[in-house]
Amino acid sequence: MISIIVLSLLIVGLTFALLRERAYTAEAIVLVEPQQEVPAEDMEPFLRDVTGAVTSSEDFIVDVRRKAGWKGTPEEFARRLDVQSLVTSDGTPTIRVRFESVDAEEAARTANAYAALFTERVDLLNDRQLAGGALAADARVASKASLPDRPSGAGPLFYVAGAIVAGMLIGGGMALLLENRARSWRDARDAELTLRAPVLGVIPEYPSAEEV
Amino acid sequence: MDPASPVRRHYAKLAQNLLSLEDRVRSMVVTSPETGAGCSSVCIGLGAALAEMGKRVVVVDCNLGRPNLHRMLGEPNFIGLTSCLQSGRALENYGHDLVPGLLAVPTGPVSSDPVARIESQRFVEVVRGIEAHRDIVILDAPVAEKVIESPALSSQFDGVLLVIHASRTSKNTAREVTDDLLDAGVNLLGVVLNGAGESV
Repeated sequence: MISIIVLSLLIVGLTFALLRERAYTAEAIVLVEPQQEVPAEDMEPFLRDVTGAVTSSEDFIVDVRRKAGWKGTPEEFARRLDVQSLVTSDGTPTIRVRFESVDAEEAARTANAYAALFTERVDLLNDRQLAGGALAADARVASKASLPDRPSGAGPLFYVAGAIVAGMLIGGGMALLLENRARSWRDARDAELTLRAPVLGVIPEYPSAEEV
Repeated sequence: MDPASPVRRHYAKLAQNLLSLEDRVRSMVVTSPETGAGCSSVCIGLGAALAEMGKRVVVVDCNLGRPNLHRMLGEPNFIGLTSCLQSGRALENYGHDLVPGLLAVPTGPVSSDPVARIESQRFVEVVRGIEAHRDIVILDAPVAEKVIESPALSSQFDGVLLVIHASRTSKNTAREVTDDLLDAGVNLLGVVLNGAGESV
């Protein structure tokens, strides 16, 4: 039982590992700094406001895709894009832009396109809102995405090892469960091991009329 | 037992194993985790095998909640253990001689409160009484849970033989019952695996 499940999961894991496309992930970092002094506890809301103001515009992501030369669907683009807003330990509001692609060059190009467009839009918002005096932030690309030299994510060995471990756990658990619920005793040895008591006799199945 | 019966040698081996136990067994309680494991069949088969070895054996159906032995014998349940408990006469008078050396005693008519009858001192005395005339007394008992609950069945006789059925008794249940019997201080003589495949 255990070996069958381990083998099945091993095949699934190996197939998945071999068929899974090896993707590259590129990362660009954008720093967003307030022009006026903002208390540390207000830094996260400030970053959220700036990010929201930029990305809530419907044409922003369309422009990013166009700038990056994206040929796929918007859904696929959204699935590969990972944008995180965070305030670093030294209190710097940061936007981390990651893009995953089977093409390393496309991954870097898209992450950089997002970062560049983000800074442009912040500048644009500053210009527009200066009249109102509401938003005052400087955004700059602190780190451009470089060409990733190796695929991201776990390698085939990881999936194979995972399949073995999962197979042993699931197979072991199922074997134990089935053994406990089993209504089929193999032989006297099976009964002795299960019950830890001596088996004095084994009587085969027979029609009751034959008995006496 | 029919000499041509295919199970004859299996019961003979069971009887041999029982007789070769370190402590001599004069009276034993045969029970099972659940009904349907074949306790009564094992009692009769074992009794016949012991009788064939020259032992004088009596099988007593003391499963008053679910009498079965008389059905296996094809006899009415008009007289038996309960008749003996009421009358004060010896148990030998209420049985059926199946083969030379083997007496089978059905429950007899079962009235209300059968547990009280089995728990009575009279029941233990009756079994003790027949031990004087028989080499081995086999008590066809209710399921193990009832045996554990019964001070008479669990502690007044030499030991308990547990019958499990190869395809009807779950391992989990059998293990729990075995543990319960041992926890209750029962002298578990051993296990009989009934209804096994021929290859076993």
